Amino acid sequence: MDFTWSDEQRELFTAIERFAAAELNEGIIERDEHGEFSRDGWYKCGEFGIHGLPVEEQYGGSDLDALATVGALERLGYACKDNGLIFSINAHMWTVMMPVAAFGSEDQKQRYLPGLASGKLIGGNGTSEPDTGSDAYNMRTTAEKKGDRYLLNGSKIFVTNGPVADVLVVYANSDPAKGPHGISGFIVDAPTPGMTVTRKIDKMGVRTSPMAEIYFDNCEVPETNRLGKEGAGQALFTHSMVWERGCILASAVGSMQRLLETCVRYAKQRKAFGQPIGKFQQVATKLVDMKLRVETARRMLYYHAWLIAQGRSAVMEAAMNKLYISESWVRCCEDAIQIHGGYGYMTEYEIERELRDAIGSRLYSGTNEIQRNLIAAMLGV
Amino acid sequence: MSDAEFPILVVIENDQQHAKPASLRAISAARQLGDSYSLLCLGRGIETVVAGVSDLGAARIYVADHEALADPLADRYAKVVVDVAAQDGSRTILAAGSTFSRDLLPRVAALIDAPMLSDVTHIESTPDQTIYQRPVNAGSEVATVTLESPRRVLTIRAGAFELPQRTDERSPRQSVAVSRDALPNGMQFVSREQRQSQRPELSEARVVVAGGRPIKDREAFEQLVGRLADTLGGAVGATRALVDAGVVPNDWQIGQTGKVLSPELYIGIGISGAVQHLAGIMDARVIVAINKDPTAPIMKMASYALTGDLFELVPQLIQALQRGDEPGR
Amino acid sequence: MKILTPFKSVPENYGQPGATSSGGRRVINPFDQIAIEEALRLRERGVASEIVAVTVGPDSADEEIRAAYAMGCDRAIRIDDERSLDPHAVARLLLAVVRAEAPELVLMGKQAVDDDASQVGPMLAGLLGWPQATFVSRLEPADDRRSATCTRETDGGLEVITVQLPAVVTTDLRLNEPRYVSLPGLIKARRKPIELKTLAELASNAQPLTAILRVAAPPKRSGGVSVESVAELVHKLKHEAKVI
Repeated sequence: MDFTWSDEQRELFTAIERFAAAELNEGIIERDEHGEFSRDGWYKCGEFGIHGLPVEEQYGGSDLDALATVGALERLGYACKDNGLIFSINAHMWTVMMPVAAFGSEDQKQRYLPGLASGKLIGGNGTSEPDTGSDAYNMRTTAEKKGDRYLLNGSKIFVTNGPVADVLVVYANSDPAKGPHGISGFIVDAPTPGMTVTRKIDKMGVRTSPMAEIYFDNCEVPETNRLGKEGAGQALFTHSMVWERGCILASAVGSMQRLLETCVRYAKQRKAFGQPIGKFQQVATKLVDMKLRVETARRMLYYHAWLIAQGRSAVMEAAMNKLYISESWVRCCEDAIQIHGGYGYMTEYEIERELRDAIGSRLYSGTNEIQRNLIAAMLGV
Repeated sequence: MSDAEFPILVVIENDQQHAKPASLRAISAARQLGDSYSLLCLGRGIETVVAGVSDLGAARIYVADHEALADPLADRYAKVVVDVAAQDGSRTILAAGSTFSRDLLPRVAALIDAPMLSDVTHIESTPDQTIYQRPVNAGSEVATVTLESPRRVLTIRAGAFELPQRTDERSPRQSVAVSRDALPNGMQFVSREQRQSQRPELSEARVVVAGGRPIKDREAFEQLVGRLADTLGGAVGATRALVDAGVVPNDWQIGQTGKVLSPELYIGIGISGAVQHLAGIMDARVIVAINKDPTAPIMKMASYALTGDLFELVPQLIQALQRGDEPGR
Repeated sequence: MKILTPFKSVPENYGQPGATSSGGRRVINPFDQIAIEEALRLRERGVASEIVAVTVGPDSADEEIRAAYAMGCDRAIRIDDERSLDPHAVARLLLAVVRAEAPELVLMGKQAVDDDASQVGPMLAGLLGWPQATFVSRLEPADDRRSATCTRETDGGLEVITVQLPAVVTTDLRLNEPRYVSLPGLIKARRKPIELKTLAELASNAQPLTAILRVAAPPKRSGGVSVESVAELVHKLKHEAKVI
């Protein structure tokens, strides 16, 4: 396992860093306060090539393998302080774009992938429902076959990008008698008659990422928009989860690196009792712990990506990544606030926001409790 | 023979009425470089310009006064400069740094196959060689250089040289024959902004007040920066951000790619002190910074740093100065 | 119209003391990026048909060549030269390329941010005997493409001139805002050929005539005195600095 980046990869990451630092870091405090999504930032990232990193060139992507993709997203997280924008981009990539790339028919790929890869189409995903979250396969939304169409009925909640999406991937049960084995995936153009964004959801963190509850009332979806075979929903979901769980926190590793550097700088320059606070063991220890978390999270990130790039199974690694990196991110943010004292609590210093953003990572892509269940099951207990 | 023994030709910039004061400082550089120097004035109807430089110790004043030279077009002006230099036998062509000389002198250097040094701040002449210093890297470093050539073209940073002392003697003048047909014709002048101002010119002002990003429009700029400048009898300037935003005109930009100043007093309002801006004010004698961020780069290098809200502090400062019995002079 | 866009590779962290000598990351000189961007926009408008980028330097400059390709240049030339050069030499090297390529327009930055000499553009124009427009903030080619109207940023404000083509134009800050290289663009750039020219091929004996004896930080200004109030500031300016 050689995780040295090639010259070409380093050039790409440097380009991302310069772009993000110059274009994506203005006005976040205000937008975070108002829960405002930056369309401008989204389209800039899309045009720059972020969304399409892992997509094949023939559909407008950069055809990067999993390892280079997470390296790129890590660098994005390092240079871009808008965790909400990054979260929206990730949700789009792993829950919409990659499932279409992996399971879509050629026709579907032609119709949707170029737009998704360039960010011109904003993607959102409807899986969770008001009454089903961790037990996703108990979903109640149905997809009734009527001739060459399906009628979607039900409610989806926590739809990231819901308020701004041009296309949704929605899971619904097309054969309730089969229980979880009846779940199918659908590509739904937004807006479609019968589909309503019933409310925008205001959140604790990643507030610049818009989220909605969406209600489907006899919403017609053509058969040609069913993703994969009828009843393939679980397989679709499981597959996309290996990518999502493993990669969605790549940018968190970059954020942690940035936080560490910020804290080290602060610890060297801020004085108390006549010396830089970094000289006090209680501060130094926190910095060391942050460093350990960043380094271990990074290695876990790369290893999982390397496995996928090799075409090897990485289900357990995906769950471990999601669990470990999210917990590490939250703890790094807590330490960063503590090290900065009162300034760490002020919105102006953009550190407290990191913690609010990080807490969500313990919940999405499957709660950390679910990840532990999965890992335990894979350990055979 | 050393450099000093060949005549030096100083190109004087003028606005048709007067020589630009900054331009005259090149004469001080010429005096450092050697014994004999001549001046060259170009334009149309420049009698008063020539009269105004006649007592600056020049061996000769070359006057190229012609319709075709009414506006400084580099191709025409360069031809005249080169012809005069040949006539004069000068091996050094010198001017104060400005957009005029940066446009013209490199072209001249090409025509006489000479190397050029821009923005020289220090000259050390020894019998063996001349050593120059000039700022590089946005003024964060100083390069010490020599030239290997019998001919040279130099621009000097005006603020690094004194205004030349006037003498009792009047320099003889010599008309330069200019023929329209002999001049290149590939460039035409179309128009120029004419803006009148009661305030002193930015590059020569003793006091400069500059505004930065927090000042959102021209009205606020005039209320704060303008009024403070007027109270002190100073000029106004700005950072690149304000010019980019269209709040102030381009010639108010101070910095690495704008104007480089050396006033007695510079007051930066709402300016954080990016290195590119600092490059334009490093030679100010006293730097005052007013900013709400005490850790902004300018606050650490200012002679006096006042932390606070500029929208409150600047009106207070204007009032305090107006109340005081010492007017800004 | 064929446009030649000469550019210089400069340190990314210019303005920091030591940037010029350290081996840090490099970029296309920001003013040259503006020139390349303008050339790209002229091509998008159908005014330019070919954009050729050219730089002088050792093989480490290939990374900036790829950036020029990634922005969208059609061809890119590197003059292979490891020497420490000055504008005198660079202008003469570019002269050889202009003669070989015969562009209608040479479009480049007004100055390089690492040495701030601001000479190569007008120097090249002089060597060519071409019209020049420096510090341009707006460039409008005429309909017949035989001339261009240029707005220039001068010490006295804005000035407008017209130049017959072919001409050398140097760009100022406000001409445009350069696009970012896109990631797919960077990847495709890797596959594009870099035309390498040696000094022998150019038949150029261009020599630098400037010797740099040393580069050092200037004497530091003393500063950083905080004042607590307007009253204290006025008092110090009057009685301590004696400047008002």
